[in-house]
Amino acid sequence: MERRELVRWLAATAGISCLEGLSANELLAFGEELHLTPTTGQGLRALTPHAQRTVIAAAERIIPATDTPGATDAGVVTFIDKMLADRYTPEERRRFLAGLEELDGRCRSLRGKTFVDCTEADQVAVLAALDDELTAIRRAPGATSPNDHWFAMLKYLTAFGYCTSEPAMRRTLGSWPRPTRYDGCAPVAIGRTPQGRS
Amino acid sequence: MAQRGAEQYDAIVVGSGMTGGWAAKELTELGLRTLVLDAGRPTTREDYREHVPPWEMPFRGLGDRRAVETRQAVQRNSVSFDELSHQFWVDDVDNPYSTPADKAFHWFRARQVGGKSIIWGRQVYRLSDLDFEANARDGIGVDWPIRYKDIAPWYDHVERFIGVSGQPEGLAHLPDGPFLPAMAMNCVEEHVRDRMAARFGRDRVLTIGRAAVLTVRHNGRAACHYCGPCHRGCVTRSYFSSVNATLPAAEATGRLTLLPYSIVRSLVLDESRNRISGVRVVDARTREEREYSARIVFLCASALESARILFNSATPRFPTGLANSSDQVGRNIMDHIKWGGASGRFDDWSDRRTSGERPNGIYVPRFRNVGARHADFIRGYGFQGGGNRAGWQAAVRAPGIGVAFKERLTRLGPWSMSFGGFGEMLPRPENRATLHPTLVDRWGIPTLHIECSWSDNELAMYRDMNVTASELLEAAGAKDIRPDARGPSTPGNTNHEMGSARMGRDPKTSVLNGWNQAWDVPNLFVTDGACMTSSANQNPSLTYMALTARACHYAVELMKRREL
Repeated sequence: MERRELVRWLAATAGISCLEGLSANELLAFGEELHLTPTTGQGLRALTPHAQRTVIAAAERIIPATDTPGATDAGVVTFIDKMLADRYTPEERRRFLAGLEELDGRCRSLRGKTFVDCTEADQVAVLAALDDELTAIRRAPGATSPNDHWFAMLKYLTAFGYCTSEPAMRRTLGSWPRPTRYDGCAPVAIGRTPQGRS
Repeated sequence: MAQRGAEQYDAIVVGSGMTGGWAAKELTELGLRTLVLDAGRPTTREDYREHVPPWEMPFRGLGDRRAVETRQAVQRNSVSFDELSHQFWVDDVDNPYSTPADKAFHWFRARQVGGKSIIWGRQVYRLSDLDFEANARDGIGVDWPIRYKDIAPWYDHVERFIGVSGQPEGLAHLPDGPFLPAMAMNCVEEHVRDRMAARFGRDRVLTIGRAAVLTVRHNGRAACHYCGPCHRGCVTRSYFSSVNATLPAAEATGRLTLLPYSIVRSLVLDESRNRISGVRVVDARTREEREYSARIVFLCASALESARILFNSATPRFPTGLANSSDQVGRNIMDHIKWGGASGRFDDWSDRRTSGERPNGIYVPRFRNVGARHADFIRGYGFQGGGNRAGWQAAVRAPGIGVAFKERLTRLGPWSMSFGGFGEMLPRPENRATLHPTLVDRWGIPTLHIECSWSDNELAMYRDMNVTASELLEAAGAKDIRPDARGPSTPGNTNHEMGSARMGRDPKTSVLNGWNQAWDVPNLFVTDGACMTSSANQNPSLTYMALTARACHYAVELMKRREL
């Protein structure tokens, strides 16, 4: 039996006494997996349905749809889930997921609701405050690894996932398809139209 | 039990990359039935993934960190290692080596047909007599057994075949070749070139990089279409690799036999005749052992791999390694020191941008110790670099959210220009690879212990790069000039390792004669980077290729005269 299946079986049958036989790492993994619903509906692996809704909403506030696609159109949440599941360390993953809980905590203090249940205006206000805090951390003398802050992770993943997505590259950035010649002194506008190439 | 291959060949070439491909082409075209052995798998069109868009990559180009940290912890340090090119580099667990704990060395290795010619930087520069005379002039190492006039026709020969785009500059110490049309500079590069010319005249010249990338159709290969990531392959065969050019030419003769998955364990010496009588091969998939024989053998396995094969071929007559009576095999390892330089910002041309990905940069040929003698170091360095405008990559950490942040991502940053030095490394006998007493690779073949570090001369040169790069940017009116703060590169990281079986004039102090022929064993030629007597500062592949072609013609001449 795969470890993941074992853990799900344990969770499903409340076989908690079996945990004695697991190593420390397996216990850690068990703790992580308990937060996952076996089926998220969209095949997400690191984000629970609630975390998924939180990320979708936050990413869309960070990069909203305008006359060009937004973070939701670009499927940013799928990229973020992939990164959390297959690239980040357990510590990085924990920090990110704890950040989403902090986001809910801030919203509860403000409006008595989770982030996703807040109005868009309240969501923007909370995220803007976090962004200001992050900027202050970045500018503080002797700042150590501000990129490790969970909001820095969320914003970076959103921006990176967006700018490498097909909708953004084709319609927002005009960076796909690639040009087939080189011009070292082209007008800037060349990359701004959907047909343009950069 | 070793099984003897039934076929008999005129020549065996070990390796199918930059130099192995050339040996294959020249030897087959000269009429020899040639067996080319490569340790890795065949390379096919499906390996080429330069047109895959980011959204089709699982990690959008960032790579599978867990797999890479586990299996390619060394290889990932190369600039051309990425999510779509990682398959062109070896698995470090299967292919281990060791270094002293305090002397890191990056040994980048490629095991597939085509070798490192698939992932090379494509920059090609000739050496000149400033380089060939350097060791004799400075009393360093041994004298090159050749001068520029000996290799010049072979540079022509190679450049005409591979196609080199570039701008003739008429510099004696960086000879021009039969160039294809040069690639264009962008607005900032042209500006910096003109301001440098005004300030430094012909002393410090900025030219477009000389690249083995076609700007026009050439020898049946298409011109570059500026898609960008050459190191992921090239379906139009526009940049030179052995897979794209030399191996097909060899194949066309009908005299080529190419065997992938064939790891050369050792060469077999017939002591009575003092000739290589066979090549022992381990099948990479089945571990079955075979032996092949031919009249001549060309080692083109890459500098350190060729030294390793010689070590693993020790005999009672050559107890420290085949063809090693000079004790120079494995010694004098050189690379190029880099990561000295600077970058600066330009606020003009805000309405202009680059369009298309030019797989090439600019080049500033060596200017130190060309005329006046520098007080702190001998030899010199060239700068590579270029100008560009930052895109969204520079904005992902910018402040703001919402429409303003989105707009920021679509806005181009200012122009910047950067210079990065590539400095000559002196040959020193203590920079040395030896056979590890116990460590073996996945196939049980003893591997190398590599000890290599920069000397004071390289470090002084490295410090000077930051100073002079800043001078160039100041002359051009750049703002916010920042010297490169990374510190010197790790030896090996430039992927120009060379020198481990040097050419020379005396069998007592060198491994190869002036024709890349082993002094000790006349039917053995080593024509990869191992042969280099000094490193110069130019990217070395062109010189390896020219020396290979030259050695092939010499070897065939000897065979015709019945001397081999």
